Amino acid sequence: MQVELLLAGGLVLAPMGFAALIMAGANRGIRGFLVLAATALTMAAGVALAYRGPTTIQLPPLFGTLAQGIEPLIILIVIALGFLTRSRMVRLMGAAQLALAIAGTAAAQGGEPHPLTLTVDWLSIVMVLVVSVIGGLIAVYAIGYMNNHERHAPKTAASTNRFFFFIVAFLGLMNGLVLVDDLKWLSIFWEGTTLCSFFLIGHDGTDEARVCARRALLINTFGGLAMSLAGSVAYAWGGTESIAHMMAGGAVLPLALLSLATMTKSAQLPFQSWLLGAMVAPTPVSALLHSSTMVKAGSYLILRLAPALGASPLAPVVAVAGAFTFVATSALAIGQSNGKKVLAYSTIANLGLIATCAALHSPLAYAAALTLLVFHAISKALLFLCVGTIEQTIGSRHIEDMSGILYKMPVTTIIAIVGMASMIVPPFGMLIGKWMAIESSVHTPLVMLLLIAGSALTIFIWAKWLGRITTASYHPVYQAEKVSPWMMSVLGLLGLGVLTASVAALPIYRAVVVPFSVSAFGRVSGGAAVPLLDAAETFMAWPMLVLLGAVILAGLTAAFFVRSNHVRLPFLCGENVEDGELSYRFRGPMDGLDTAMLTSYYPPIFAERRITLWANPIAILVILTLFGVIVP
Amino acid sequence: MTFAHSTLLIALLVLLAPVWGALLAGIDRVLTARIQSRIGPPLLQPIYDTLKLLRKEPIVVNRIQIVYAYLHLAFMILALILLLCGQDSLMFLFVFAFSTLSLVLGGMCVRSPYSRIGSQREIMLMVAYEPILILLMIGMYLVNHNFLLGSAATAPKPLLLTMPLTFLAFLVVMAIKLQKSPFDIATSHHAHQELVKGITIEYSGPYLAVIEIAHFVETALLFYLVMLFWASSPLIGFLLACASYFLMIVVDNAFARLTTLWTVRFMWTAALAMAATNVLWLYL
Repeated sequence: MQVELLLAGGLVLAPMGFAALIMAGANRGIRGFLVLAATALTMAAGVALAYRGPTTIQLPPLFGTLAQGIEPLIILIVIALGFLTRSRMVRLMGAAQLALAIAGTAAAQGGEPHPLTLTVDWLSIVMVLVVSVIGGLIAVYAIGYMNNHERHAPKTAASTNRFFFFIVAFLGLMNGLVLVDDLKWLSIFWEGTTLCSFFLIGHDGTDEARVCARRALLINTFGGLAMSLAGSVAYAWGGTESIAHMMAGGAVLPLALLSLATMTKSAQLPFQSWLLGAMVAPTPVSALLHSSTMVKAGSYLILRLAPALGASPLAPVVAVAGAFTFVATSALAIGQSNGKKVLAYSTIANLGLIATCAALHSPLAYAAALTLLVFHAISKALLFLCVGTIEQTIGSRHIEDMSGILYKMPVTTIIAIVGMASMIVPPFGMLIGKWMAIESSVHTPLVMLLLIAGSALTIFIWAKWLGRITTASYHPVYQAEKVSPWMMSVLGLLGLGVLTASVAALPIYRAVVVPFSVSAFGRVSGGAAVPLLDAAETFMAWPMLVLLGAVILAGLTAAFFVRSNHVRLPFLCGENVEDGELSYRFRGPMDGLDTAMLTSYYPPIFAERRITLWANPIAILVILTLFGVIVP
Repeated sequence: MTFAHSTLLIALLVLLAPVWGALLAGIDRVLTARIQSRIGPPLLQPIYDTLKLLRKEPIVVNRIQIVYAYLHLAFMILALILLLCGQDSLMFLFVFAFSTLSLVLGGMCVRSPYSRIGSQREIMLMVAYEPILILLMIGMYLVNHNFLLGSAATAPKPLLLTMPLTFLAFLVVMAIKLQKSPFDIATSHHAHQELVKGITIEYSGPYLAVIEIAHFVETALLFYLVMLFWASSPLIGFLLACASYFLMIVVDNAFARLTTLWTVRFMWTAALAMAATNVLWLYL
């Protein structure tokens, strides 16, 4: 008990303490050391907490009083930012939140201040691990990245110390968010992550960065308001802001409001614009927001609420909303050539899938959601960091510019290939998740149809990109590129992690995820554990993995023994012109010199404006339905 | 039948699959020749061709295309094994799709406009037909209450009777997968391809043979997949598969090639509607 309390304190407070130290003024060397120390400490605390297993920690009533003080303070910061960014909506929503907080404090004056409970169950343990390990690795990568970035950053950019202050504090806030069982505290951490992302997105201080940061603040403050409302309603009806009590009480309105809050945080349609704008920030920020923090706060909360949500009339609406986001953003990703934007849409799609699974109300679906959450976090962190490294080297984040990088930067490219493969190759983690998601959706035809359409569309994105980065001419010798050791070591570690997790996906799924999701449902909904479908239980992954390994080895061996006299230039319907690196020119008609050029296909039906035009209104209608079903 | 027997049978079927696929291709060429009033090659011509390719010099454009060719063949065989072992239907589809994806990547990783265009078209085709295949598996789940392909054999009624519309949609998918007109958009067996050879143009010699063998396995796999629609009696299933394959050859000779976008639009409207209607009535 005491040890767990210490660990939880370490997870939340240690990053914040180190963040303050970094902010207090550190030169480059000390800063790197402090970031490393903060992440090492957080990781160690996270792993130790996971090792000790589930428990609950009671904190004294003092923390209830503390929350009453901190909440208005953090809302005041939001309102101040509303003035700073000249956003009337932010000010209005902040004022509403402040009124709710003050009213809540006034109402609570007579009664006993309730103690704060920290829930350490498998869900929060998984989240803590994702936040502290993956988030920590991204912070370490950022040390190397920001050293480069500082040199090229616009003059308006904020200090790198401020950058790391928010990055490291973010980890602490996220850890707090997933541990507390109290809507007031949850709301405080929730707003805290909103503030961190506002400052990180606006880091470069350019006009574009300001606009995007302001949009992120606006949308997430809206979510924050929904969460404050949920807290107030829960308190007014149930006399407590404990999440567990609220779920047991079966009140539907707070659940609906919280679902809305998760949609804003997870950038679900129609709230996707803030996450797309977030890519103006330095790459580690995108990696952090997309993989282990921020958007995963939404997924965490929806999974936390899943047992109560699934039993409520809201379930089908939340499931359809998620599945619709999955299809629409998968389609949107096809039309994009900007690598980061493709990754962003793919993130939103997977978060939609997670929300759908959470609402499907079965242990199998819950297991699918958890699998997706973990594997998505690792793979997306890796992919964002790869794109960041590629961008710093070739000066572009466009997929079309990435041909030939297998020769220019073989190590990063191979790691990126591993990351992309982990998204699409059976039987790796993401595919196991998708597999379970589709199989658990068979009893809800509409959701199933949407999931089928969405998963067909995702093939397009990865095929196009993988094809582009593996495009290469023949080169007798490859040479490793020079990248900052901070960045390369994290890429290597994450790459190895992705590989290990992919290979061990099915065993992990069976040993950890399945029993946990059965227990989560058995405990809260009190129902019998639905038997998991046979296939997931009995399917053998190792022969597939052995085959995959053997084939790749055989292919690489054959590739290794290719002699240059067996290499020809591609057929271009004319005589090839040998001009070294680019074997793309040929003698065309009239003996003229022609260059063959080919970009990937971006079907006009998947144009961003066109899809958003109809997808956003539909998403709004679905959200209205969410509140419509509450009215009896 | 004991475990050893069934293992032996599956091993035999897998080993014979390329030969069976090549024979079907040979029949195709003879029949097509007769339709066009030619005599045509000998029945075993596809086998002779492949054996000759295997003995040729291994010419490549870059190294990585070799890895993709091997992945294509290996995952095709794996998909066949999953099908014959009656494993989970969706996992079978994922493996099958990954095999095709490897072929696509093999075509994309070279700096050749022809094979890149072919690959882009093949992706579009995958997007077009993949939902139908998943719907087929969902339909089978609703009939058998089980995602295992093996349970099709114990279905109370032949699947053709419970899923006639899905079967029709599946026939279109089969035409696409066999690269038959009007869907031979990414690559074609015929000389009249406007993309030279499309997706496989930069493959030659033994590596082209690997892809040819994979296509033979794919043909056999599709043949077995049709047999699932009448799994209770292998004979009727076999005749059904033969009839479907014959239909493919006739259609191939009777139609002109369509465009990729037309195919996608057709598959996501008409074919998908048919398959979805069929699946939705299974819910009732």
